[in-house]
Amino acid sequence: MATPSIMKHVELFRGLSDEQLAQVALLGQEEVYQTGDILCEQDAPGDNVFIIMRGQVEIRVRDRSGAQHSAVYLGAGQVIGEMALVDEGKRSATVIAAEDGTTVFSIPSDEFVRLCKTDTHIGYLLMRNIAQDLSFKLRHGNTNPSSD
Amino acid sequence: MIYKVSYVVKGGNFPGGIKNETERPVIGQKVRIGPHTFEVIEILEIMPPRDDFQFLHVTVQPVEAAEQKAPS
Repeated sequence: MATPSIMKHVELFRGLSDEQLAQVALLGQEEVYQTGDILCEQDAPGDNVFIIMRGQVEIRVRDRSGAQHSAVYLGAGQVIGEMALVDEGKRSATVIAAEDGTTVFSIPSDEFVRLCKTDTHIGYLLMRNIAQDLSFKLRHGNTNPSSD
Repeated sequence: MIYKVSYVVKGGNFPGGIKNETERPVIGQKVRIGPHTFEVIEILEIMPPRDDFQFLHVTVQPVEAAEQKAPS
């Protein structure tokens, strides 16, 4: 279980009280991966949200020709799987651990959504923070020369 | 303060990265993104800070390129 003090360093949980953080912490569990381990694959069902607590992951996207290319590396504090959470679509990318000991906090998507629905204040804060995180990622993509 | 940093690589074909840092990056600092090491060459604030979070856009270049430019 992730501790609320570590979760305060994650933007997804910005604005949540200690009590609310403790509620979220109960939903998930820590998972540890080694370099090359696959956390999730593109086009698979998006059934978990991952928050990177330690290490780095590589986000790989397969294009229409079937070729896979590296889209971005994400490190501590970043969220994976939020797109599938918002639009209920399939995974938009494959996620691979890029460091030994990469540690993520994994929350089942249905548990995450259930909490948002039962406590709408937490739900508002989490969805607002997800929107801001997606905005930040878009800005990164827009300014990245390799994405041209 | 937590610094949420978008690292964009100048030159080459590398996707860069996003991660949270506990200290603000500085020019000349070496950062590890995936399997490579880069040097920070520019730092911009891209959004106003919110609560304990500051949002930075940092341009980096491969360390090899930085070393080639340095006077011998």
